[in-house]
Amino acid sequence: MDKATILSLEQVTLKFSGLTVLKDLSFDIRQGSRTALIGPNGAGKTSVFNVVTGAYSPSSGAVRFRGHDITCMASRKRIRAGVARNFQNIRLMPHLTAIENVMIGQHSRGRGLLNALQPVALFPGNRWRREARDALASASLQKYERQLVGALPYGVQKRIELVRALQADPSLLLLDEPAAGLNLAEKHELAELLTRLLGEDDRTLLIVEHDMDFIGSLCEHVIVLNFGRKIAEGSCTSVRCDPVVQEAYLGASVHLERRGACCAS
Amino acid sequence: MGSIYAMIAVALTLSIGVINFLNFSIPGVFMVSAFVVWIVMQLTGSWLFAFLLALLVGGCLALLVERFTWSWLNNVDPFVPLVSSMAFLMLFENWALTMWGSDLKTLPSISAADVRIAGTVISLPQLAALLISISLAVALRFVLTQTPVGRALRTISEDKEVASILGINVNRTVRILFVVSALCAALAGILFSVSYRQVHPFMGEIIGLRGISAMVIGGMGNVWGAIIGGILIGLGEVAAINVFGADFVDIVIYGTLLLILTVKPEGLFGAPVSGRGRV
Amino acid sequence: MSGYAGALLTLLAINVVFAYGTFLPMSAGQLNLGAAGFIAVGAYISAFLSNSGVPLYISIPCAAVFAGCLALIVSIPVLRTRGIYLALATFALGQVVQATFLNIPMFGGAAGYPVVEHINSFAIVCTAALVVAVSALIFATRFGISVVAIHDDERVADLMGLNTRAFQAAAFSLGAAVAGIGGALYAHHYSFIEAQQFGFGLSITAVLYVIFGGTQTIVGPLVGAAAFTLLPEIARASQEWRYVLFASVIICMMAVRPQGLVTRASLRRLFEGRARG
Repeated sequence: MDKATILSLEQVTLKFSGLTVLKDLSFDIRQGSRTALIGPNGAGKTSVFNVVTGAYSPSSGAVRFRGHDITCMASRKRIRAGVARNFQNIRLMPHLTAIENVMIGQHSRGRGLLNALQPVALFPGNRWRREARDALASASLQKYERQLVGALPYGVQKRIELVRALQADPSLLLLDEPAAGLNLAEKHELAELLTRLLGEDDRTLLIVEHDMDFIGSLCEHVIVLNFGRKIAEGSCTSVRCDPVVQEAYLGASVHLERRGACCAS
Repeated sequence: MGSIYAMIAVALTLSIGVINFLNFSIPGVFMVSAFVVWIVMQLTGSWLFAFLLALLVGGCLALLVERFTWSWLNNVDPFVPLVSSMAFLMLFENWALTMWGSDLKTLPSISAADVRIAGTVISLPQLAALLISISLAVALRFVLTQTPVGRALRTISEDKEVASILGINVNRTVRILFVVSALCAALAGILFSVSYRQVHPFMGEIIGLRGISAMVIGGMGNVWGAIIGGILIGLGEVAAINVFGADFVDIVIYGTLLLILTVKPEGLFGAPVSGRGRV
Repeated sequence: MSGYAGALLTLLAINVVFAYGTFLPMSAGQLNLGAAGFIAVGAYISAFLSNSGVPLYISIPCAAVFAGCLALIVSIPVLRTRGIYLALATFALGQVVQATFLNIPMFGGAAGYPVVEHINSFAIVCTAALVVAVSALIFATRFGISVVAIHDDERVADLMGLNTRAFQAAAFSLGAAVAGIGGALYAHHYSFIEAQQFGFGLSITAVLYVIFGGTQTIVGPLVGAAAFTLLPEIARASQEWRYVLFASVIICMMAVRPQGLVTRASLRRLFEGRARG
């Protein structure tokens, strides 16, 4: 292995009162990689995120982050450890402005009482505020800075959420359907934005998506889930041509956005 | 006394159960109805008229409260109706205070008859209160399970939107709920004024708020729970007076409420309180 | 300062402190229906200390700290509840505190407790101003955005690394300490306190000040308390009808503008309008 494994799931099983959402799921994510997690609806993709961030505890199995077993780590500590995420249905704080939401993302970078008492709103030149402002500017969101997020357009909110997640300076970024609801042009912009924001630093990206083109432009590795199990793994093209994967999608009457030229059928 | 608490608890539990609304005006309605009985007795001396007017006033107040807490506020922060209902309580209490002063008012006795049951003496009005509250519970149970209105109410408590899709006139049904709940409180007020022969502007706070404890102990949203909770509180009161002395009753009752809320918030018969939400 | 205006200002100052004591937990999403309990704690403890000869500038902070610590201890079980259950738990707490004070003979019981030391209006107004200033300062820090975040979405705030329990306990305890200060001021100005004054009605009143003024900004409670202390005077309403008026206005307000008088949006419009014009 040329790069270290940053995240690994080992035989993770997640059950909710009789319903098995994830079954003996195992995979490794290499540091610095861009991986997509795909699968028909209900395959358990968001549940993987929930287990990794600590929203749910697995019924069995382990989650390792940078070699440490974080299976039992409190969810609020995981972001400090370097795992940040966004949410499928946007979960911004409606009573805060865009810049304040972004500053919430910064919270995990500080510690203790002194962190809580940082005067972020008192002095406009404050370092945290400047950082948040710059982050919004880098995503072309500076004009929304002082507006309450509840009233902003969907696409804008999605980008703010992304900026918020990045402010936590995560080594592993989990994005849950960041392109959902966006048109083609917006998807291109998002892919560009992501490439730019993730480019310089050695951040790892794990993304749940349905749009294979979007994934193709961003990721080099794909993991396919179905009914909570991993059914395939590999590069974008190899996964597209995998008959097991095709059956999973066709059988659930959800089809991939475009099939590659290699796939005859 | 337990039956009075029980009726107030029922009034409260009905609105919590169906529309998830803790109606703080109910103790106010309780007090106002009792006052109406007193006023009518002062003016005319007719018990019948007093009871009818008290019920009528209770119903009207219910519609007023409903208008201002529920009708106009449909998709707002759920605490807003709660706060409005608290404002109504304040309104009723202070209105009574300004109109009639803060001393205790007494009523004449409706009947001097006493009944001996199992070694304890219960006055006829108190016995009537007990019987009425139990029949009320039975009647409500019947209405909730057997009649169309009751079924409508249960559907609304599951899901308001589904209910309206199913053709249920949610607004009208909720109004009926408010009126029924207020009538229970009014009934409690009437029975109290008759049994204990005194009214006071702040009786809503003293007695009505214990009804809240009864409701929680029995389980929010459960009518039988409310009855049993009321009776338990009534018994608990008596026990506390005997064991600790009259001064400590409030401490015991509200201490118990606090304990229940932190340890077992669903009370005896309520639905389990959901824990952490899904992400 | 004329006697009448002075008395009014003092009352306003005390109401403002009560309002902020309730606002702090509410901004974190906790509807505190037991503020009167902590007000009572502040009042009685400070009165007791100063009656025993402790100088005021020690007895009042001590009482506030006591109220805050009590809140901290109680918050361990109470903050396990949420929403309506939390509101009811704080309500029960307030009732228990009131009933307890009613029964402690050392504090005069039902007959009331006279307070020897007196604080003049000026000191009270200064203290209130200090409370407002410190609250505003705290809200301008990360604490301010964190508690609003927790109020908006506790789950996600936790996932973002915020120690939600700690923040909620802090908001609750700070609110209690401020309420305690208010109680202490009240006790030392009106020179007599009795447990009956610190009941549910007082808790509701404080909550209504905040709701009327607006829970979104730090200025809201000030506006709310001011409106309800000053307007009835302007309208020459008598003491008794004041509460009826207050309650009616709240009811109408909730139907028409439930977010309260001052919201973030309106504040911004106000300042941006000024800057432009």
